[in-house]
Amino acid sequence: MSVLLEVESVTMRFGGLVALDDVSFSIGSGAVLAVIGPNGAGKSTLFNVITGVYKPSSGRVEFDGSDITGTPTYEVVRRGIARTFQSSRLFSDLSVLDNVVIGMHTRTKAGVLDVLFRHGVSRREMAACVEKAETLLRAAPGDLYEQRYRPAGTLAQADRRRLEIARALASRPKLLLLDEPSAGMDEAETDALVADIVRLRAEQPELSVILIEHDMRVVQAFPEHVMCIDYGRRIAEGSFEAVRTDPRVQEAYLGTASTHA
Amino acid sequence: MGGSASSAMPGAASATATAILLQLGGAAFLYAILKAEEGWQVVSLLGLLGFGFYVLERFPWLSDFATSRLARVPIVTMATAAVIVLGFPFLVGSNTYILHLLIVAQLYAVLALALNFQLGSANIPNFATGASYGIGAYVSALLAINFGMSFWLTLPFAALAATLFGFIIGIPSMRTRDTYLALVTIAFGVVVHQLLNNFDWTGGPNGLVGIPAPSLFGHSFADPLQVLGWTLPSHANFYYLSAALVMVAIVTAHRLHNSRIGLAWNALRADEIAAKAQGINVAWYKVLAFAVDAFLAAFAGTIYAFYVSYISPDNFTFLVSVTIMTMVIVGGMDNIFGVIVGAFLLTILPEKLRAFSDYRLLFFGVVIIGFLMIRPQGLFPQRLRHYGGRR
Repeated sequence: MSVLLEVESVTMRFGGLVALDDVSFSIGSGAVLAVIGPNGAGKSTLFNVITGVYKPSSGRVEFDGSDITGTPTYEVVRRGIARTFQSSRLFSDLSVLDNVVIGMHTRTKAGVLDVLFRHGVSRREMAACVEKAETLLRAAPGDLYEQRYRPAGTLAQADRRRLEIARALASRPKLLLLDEPSAGMDEAETDALVADIVRLRAEQPELSVILIEHDMRVVQAFPEHVMCIDYGRRIAEGSFEAVRTDPRVQEAYLGTASTHA
Repeated sequence: MGGSASSAMPGAASATATAILLQLGGAAFLYAILKAEEGWQVVSLLGLLGFGFYVLERFPWLSDFATSRLARVPIVTMATAAVIVLGFPFLVGSNTYILHLLIVAQLYAVLALALNFQLGSANIPNFATGASYGIGAYVSALLAINFGMSFWLTLPFAALAATLFGFIIGIPSMRTRDTYLALVTIAFGVVVHQLLNNFDWTGGPNGLVGIPAPSLFGHSFADPLQVLGWTLPSHANFYYLSAALVMVAIVTAHRLHNSRIGLAWNALRADEIAAKAQGINVAWYKVLAFAVDAFLAAFAGTIYAFYVSYISPDNFTFLVSVTIMTMVIVGGMDNIFGVIVGAFLLTILPEKLRAFSDYRLLFFGVVIIGFLMIRPQGLFPQRLRHYGGRR
């Protein structure tokens, strides 16, 4: 299994605050990595560093054989990293279908001159996008396809999450970053989410996934590779079982019981 | 896409009738308001318009009904529109004042469509559209006066110069946003006005005089237009010219709106961070919006310069930019038809309500505040794209 993403001793400082402190890890193609840790541990910052929203204070991010440290976000997406957001960020006044079509932005290329003077070219490209988007929506769980002409802002919470994932997949990524995909879902919806990710991996065995999760129902479904972050530091990494029983992880989640002893 | 969906759509015959009647009704209203002389006539027509929008607000399905019928028979709709636009000067006859109003309204429609790329599609404030308009006018006028270039030849140069200007004011948009960006564009607009006022080669405050009339196939635009035995005043030449430009602007707006570029603008309007995460180069698309705006505005400026044959810096003040912005807000952001209606209403109304002529800025201010409070989406709200499918 070849290495797809390699994060090498990344440190991210905001003034005096160290959000990430010398974090390193790597993920191979086709693998799943679950990142856990208490609120404010630096998990979302990690995603922001990988996707170029922040340029790390030090360290390197290497993706698919090239250095992408501090590369602008739009370029990172073009190279094959797609993400969802913790608080879903849909284009709420646009239709469900438009949201997915926008997800294909990096896979289309009609420029202003094409749009104005080679209208056929740009129209055919858009028609192909719409067709692909409809396929993606049909494949998505729930009835997103039936709701494709609704403004995305009117969707129910679980559908919003599903749409965000569909939109991320529209860019045909090699690496998918999911930031708390189960937030706001009930147990049945969470189980459905896990089933979706499992199905997605079966369909696209090359796709790598990093998920940030709080819900252990999701994490234990992908137990091979789990990493725990606390105060910006990687405190444990390994199988779900090893990380779960690690005393430092228990301390991070439950507080220090030992100080009284 | 067609087949199964079309069976649920209205019959072609009734759609044709609706399309023709709706457009004739619109044209009749426009004619009535142009012809209205007395204050009470204007006010009652406005009341009628207000009532119409009240009905639309109460029964939203009416507008869906109308648009679906118009979209059902696109050829009929376009043919009717073409007949109305081509025939209007014959209806107006020798009344050059009405023709003048229509020319100005059409130029403003182009400017409002230009600004709509930014304000409507991408929600970027721009108070420098008037400056781009002025740059277009001055560049073409200078080329015509100093180098004897024909109107048609100056068009691309004016557009190029204004587009460059658009790129330049677009650059600060990468770093500033919202209110601050609005201030930057106001500053650019004022700078351009001051430069035009102070350079020698732009004629200073006196402006440029004696811009030659364009000609086409040997027909000078200063001469009356003879069509099939009818004689139309020379204004009709510019009426048709600006109508052609409105056509170009509509096609441009329509194509961009339905392309990945229009979608990218809409995406960054809704959520800039999410737009970046979809691979959209937000900075580039913002600058592009400025450039496209300036490009179209320059065409309007060129026609204006050759139409009035005399331009001065005072034609391109901050007030012009505010007027254009009001038109977009009133008409409906990101709605091509709405923006054109806004431009026509706000060109014609101040002329008709002469009592307000000293308070024009106040009038626009009150209109903007009123709309933002009562109907922030404008007369015609933006519509979701349907890609040939049905809701």
